[in-house]
Amino acid sequence: MALLRGLLWPFQTWNDMLLPIGRWISIAAIGLMVVAILIQVFFRYVLNNALPWPDEAARFLMLWMTGLMAPLAYRRGGFVAIDMLIEALPKGLGAILSLFLLVISGFVLAFAIPIGLGEITGFSAKFNTASLYIPTALEFSEWLRVPRWWMMMSLFVGVILLLIVNLELILRTIIQLMGGTVKELTPPEDEIMAE
Amino acid sequence: MLIWFLPVFLVFLMIGLPVFFGLLAAPGILLWLAGQEKDITLLYRNVYNGMDSFPLMAIPFFMLAGELMNKGGITERLVEFSQALMGHLRGGLAHVNILSSMLFAGLSGSAVADTSALGSMLIPAMERQGYTRRFAAAVTAASSVIGPIIPPSGIMIIYAYVMGESVAALFLAGIVPGVLVGLGLMLVVRLMANRYDLPKAERIVKKGQALTAKEHWVSFVLLRLNLGWVFFAIFRGTTGIASGEEASAAMVWGTFAVSVLAAHVLLISLRKTIEPDFRTVTKRAVVPLQTPILILGGILLGVFTPTEAAAVAVFYAIVVAFFVLNTMTLKDLPDVLSRAAMTSAVVLLLVGAAMAFKTVVSLSYAPQILADYILGLSENPYVLLFLINILLFIVGMFLDAGPAIIILGPILGPIFTDLGVHPVHFAIIMSVNLTVGLATPPMGLVLFVASSVAKERVETIAKAILPFLAVEVLVIFLITYFPAISMTIPRITGFVD
Repeated sequence: MALLRGLLWPFQTWNDMLLPIGRWISIAAIGLMVVAILIQVFFRYVLNNALPWPDEAARFLMLWMTGLMAPLAYRRGGFVAIDMLIEALPKGLGAILSLFLLVISGFVLAFAIPIGLGEITGFSAKFNTASLYIPTALEFSEWLRVPRWWMMMSLFVGVILLLIVNLELILRTIIQLMGGTVKELTPPEDEIMAE
Repeated sequence: MLIWFLPVFLVFLMIGLPVFFGLLAAPGILLWLAGQEKDITLLYRNVYNGMDSFPLMAIPFFMLAGELMNKGGITERLVEFSQALMGHLRGGLAHVNILSSMLFAGLSGSAVADTSALGSMLIPAMERQGYTRRFAAAVTAASSVIGPIIPPSGIMIIYAYVMGESVAALFLAGIVPGVLVGLGLMLVVRLMANRYDLPKAERIVKKGQALTAKEHWVSFVLLRLNLGWVFFAIFRGTTGIASGEEASAAMVWGTFAVSVLAAHVLLISLRKTIEPDFRTVTKRAVVPLQTPILILGGILLGVFTPTEAAAVAVFYAIVVAFFVLNTMTLKDLPDVLSRAAMTSAVVLLLVGAAMAFKTVVSLSYAPQILADYILGLSENPYVLLFLINILLFIVGMFLDAGPAIIILGPILGPIFTDLGVHPVHFAIIMSVNLTVGLATPPMGLVLFVASSVAKERVETIAKAILPFLAVEVLVIFLITYFPAISMTIPRITGFVD
């Protein structure tokens, strides 16, 4: 048990510390998405000038919001599932089934990592985004066209974070199966995924 | 080999694997076994490409707008307004509950938000008036399914995206079915009110309420602008004056100004005939109810895309909550943003996985095989629609509407479109049916929320909700067999051929 707890500690600490940072970035991202689209609407209808970048910038932000927020949702049990069977089974059997499901999920994520890496270093990642530029000099004299892989990193990072959460959940379930207690992770009720 | 992905997926789903992982694991395993590793890469790529979409952005925005409105204290205003309109009837608060759900549906696209916002307010109030708690919870749950039927609707955005339909057409097609569900539920309450002698309620609860000067003027202006716009549209439509390309800007604006003036005169003349408290309650509802006008009006007039309309709705909600009603402070904002971001992240990931799943669906010939099977049952589209409604209802009992649409849309949609059912009509049948499934036992999300809000057992609410569900099923069949119910508005407005 001590070994398991020792194993759990780095994952739990990582998730406790890093996921809230992801949450704050996501908060900023969703806010900026709204701003970008409002700028688009304002320029198109009021100034009669269709800007090229807000659409792409907002999608960029949305992808990162998803990649950084989904692991937190997963950790809090916010992924939609039919958990009727797990609830109906005796506690021990239910925990074994949960463990089995976590292992399958873990495989999906582990499989996705090399593919994701291939994608962000692959052919389509070599292109640049259509309209996103960032300044590379303080006086805004030089601009860098944002490469596509910056955008594609969102899902890759999301998958890595999800896998770390998944490993934490596996260890937690094993500890619970062996009769140990673990820290509560469930969200406040009003934070459960809304349909 | 690949055809097995569907049964494998269903097994994964039934044993409790999160839908997101199931959508990827089932086809992934089979592709791997078949040695088609390249296609697994395609699966990953499609998750990413599936999420990288501008129309999908409407989901986080509508969720955010709903959260802001809810936090900004508009629920109370909508309930007060509904009560002023219907509270005096027998079974008054039950009617109020349903009407509030219909109004709330115009601001939010979520049944769960509706249940928790209205339930926490109306269930205790109904109990105080002598209704049983299970009845109050059942009315709340049954009426909250109107949320995703009347636009805006998260479910319809997902359907439109996954199936390549127009969000605007689906939104418009949902209006009449949503209202029909509401009226049907009111009919049940009316019948029960006679039988069980349900109580009437006061029309105005808080007498002598004052309105802040800011809110007074905002609602003053909005009311006149909206009514003026209606006059303007009727005048232009009937006389042809100030319409068309050749009308000068001065003519158009002049006519609009006169229309607003006419609206002002009408409202002033009506003023004396309406009780002051009723007037106050109505004025307090003007600001929140501007949201659906803004969203639908913007989309209908072709000013905004649904995504832009959603962003504008967020902007409006912020202005209302921070500057008009002063019900929120900057401190509340991160929490609201965080909740909207988290909920949408889960949905977006699911949609991405669905797009990957859809690719495998088409690779596997599953739709053709299923189509052959379904067509073998009958060739009459009406019989098939009946059967499919039963299937959807059963699926809805176990699965939430969003994931169910994501999974079944790509499989069933093409079959019925080939049979001659209009894609928008089928989308509405599917959306309404699966949305009603949110309030059916054993896995109705809305039932669980109602149960936690009301502190009443799910089983008890599930029994009390049966008469309401019966009406909702009736409405499902009405919209199935009378396409005009859903198709008329999108046709008239030109969003559907």
